[in-house]
Amino acid sequence: MSELAMDLNMLTEAVGELDEDKVLEMLKEFVESNPTEEEAEKVVNACQQGMAIVGDLFDKGEYFVGDLIFAGELLTSAIDTLKPVIGSGTTEKVGSIVLATVEGDLHDIGKNIFKSMAEAAGFEVYDLGIDQPAAAFVEKIKEVKPQIVGMSGVLTLAIDSMKNIIDELKKEGLKDDVKIIIGGNPVTQEACEHVGADAFTTNAAEGIKICQGWMM
Amino acid sequence: MASATAVQDVKALQEERTQLFKDVFDGKIPKRVPVSPSLTIEFAIQYAGKDLAEVQWDYQLLEEVYEKVCQDFVSDTNPAAMNLRNPIFYKLLGARNFVMSSGGFMQHPEIHGLEAEEYDDFIASPYDCIMEKILPRIYTELNESPGKRSIAFGKAFKAYYDELFAALGVIGKLTDKYGYSPLGGIELLTEAPFDFVADQLRGFKGITGDLRRCPDKVEAACEAALPLMLKQGTPNHPPSKYGAAFIPLHMAPYIRPKDFEKFYWPTFKKLVDGLADKGQPSMLFVEHDWMRYIDYLYELPENTRMWFEYGDPKLVKEKLGKKHIITGFYPIGLLKTGTKQQCIDKAKELIDILAPGGKYYFGFDKGVITADSVNVDNLKAVLEYVAENANY
Repeated sequence: MSELAMDLNMLTEAVGELDEDKVLEMLKEFVESNPTEEEAEKVVNACQQGMAIVGDLFDKGEYFVGDLIFAGELLTSAIDTLKPVIGSGTTEKVGSIVLATVEGDLHDIGKNIFKSMAEAAGFEVYDLGIDQPAAAFVEKIKEVKPQIVGMSGVLTLAIDSMKNIIDELKKEGLKDDVKIIIGGNPVTQEACEHVGADAFTTNAAEGIKICQGWMM
Repeated sequence: MASATAVQDVKALQEERTQLFKDVFDGKIPKRVPVSPSLTIEFAIQYAGKDLAEVQWDYQLLEEVYEKVCQDFVSDTNPAAMNLRNPIFYKLLGARNFVMSSGGFMQHPEIHGLEAEEYDDFIASPYDCIMEKILPRIYTELNESPGKRSIAFGKAFKAYYDELFAALGVIGKLTDKYGYSPLGGIELLTEAPFDFVADQLRGFKGITGDLRRCPDKVEAACEAALPLMLKQGTPNHPPSKYGAAFIPLHMAPYIRPKDFEKFYWPTFKKLVDGLADKGQPSMLFVEHDWMRYIDYLYELPENTRMWFEYGDPKLVKEKLGKKHIITGFYPIGLLKTGTKQQCIDKAKELIDILAPGGKYYFGFDKGVITADSVNVDNLKAVLEYVAENANY
């Protein structure tokens, strides 16, 4: 195998530092070097590791929500840049998540942050969008049989909605087949117990760790 | 004769309640802790058992809805809240920034009206840029020929004022009927310049990228927005020390401290100082957790009102309690999941921390936006407890 035309550690570090110019420049050069699919996969992996650094820095209080949004954007541009050299062969996914902002709530920033971090961590994410009723969750869960269901909301009314959706999943006999995580400004330990979810978080990075824990 | 006595009683009650807020705003210790719950119009509609999506379109139904809230919940300010996001004029304008969800609740989705490469236009002439570029993008009915645009604008403003005056009429009537304090609420609304640039121009996502890609433009845009925000926060009558410009703070907890220092704080401070110089107090909704910026908040003009969502009430009382006026912190999530006793205990705990020395009125950590966000019996119990027990 030829020498990889880039320093993977440096790339991981640049993603962790959210140095957009450096990341995109490195990736552009890499794509121009006509790499193999295998090499491209290593580069994607290095970017994903960079996202894990971003998550850690968020946990430590060095990064904030704005940084996570920017990180999601950066990862999207990185993957877009790499598209011509990433093979069509799908990589092994660590698990799958059906995700949506729940009925009555139109906010999607938190959901989108969680989504990009989950994808970076190797999950297949089925994003239903915003304002989604129980029926939409039920249908998608039956179709793709995910291990995890993620529900997001910013408004306090989302808690009631989460409860309705989980009650519906129980009725449909789907609740025991999945782990449910709820996220967003109004969720708390008490709200989590009230709605019958398995976990809650107001921190997307922590949410990813919880999901990873479930897949072990 | 009996009714004349009742009217007098209500008048006396109103004066007593008004005095509570005057004392708080003057830095004197009031007779008891005033109560100002942030119940919303959506809450009132649902509580009255009406349909959210229906009543918001018909202000003739409002009086009945508001009256029920006034009858059932204890408050020193009128709990019949103004509709901040009336769907009628937003619909007439074809708004993309305020839309109704499936449940009938008006919300602010993530959109933007200004592209990153257009910052210079905004900086050079913010008002023109808003009128010519941004409004037609946010409000689809304004993205029309000048004639049609004027008609759409005219219709929306006619609706806006019709709705406003109708609601003010109903609310004013109930304020007198139930003897609420006319003080303690908000008069008008403005935004921290950075929040304005984020919320209305570039979006949450756009601004976080701009902070890294074109920081100088963000800084200049905040400066350019400042005069507009000052004008927006100034009443068209001589300001009163008992009035308030409401400034719902948004982006600060979500950006890095070094960005806060450079981009958020300077123009926000100038806004609050500028309003204070005119004699207009500010009432801040301190969204999320500002504990890392608590020393900055101290620097704002004395008696700035601060409504806290999260954070450490003890720290806030200790650092800010002698200079500023505090409210909030009561977690409404507890009203949904706690027992009645737990809810009352929480109120007592917060009052014990925040009430000593005055400069405090009781309020929740956020608006009670819908009836199903809380257990209404817990809500009633907490309000009654505070009104009856938080005496000085």
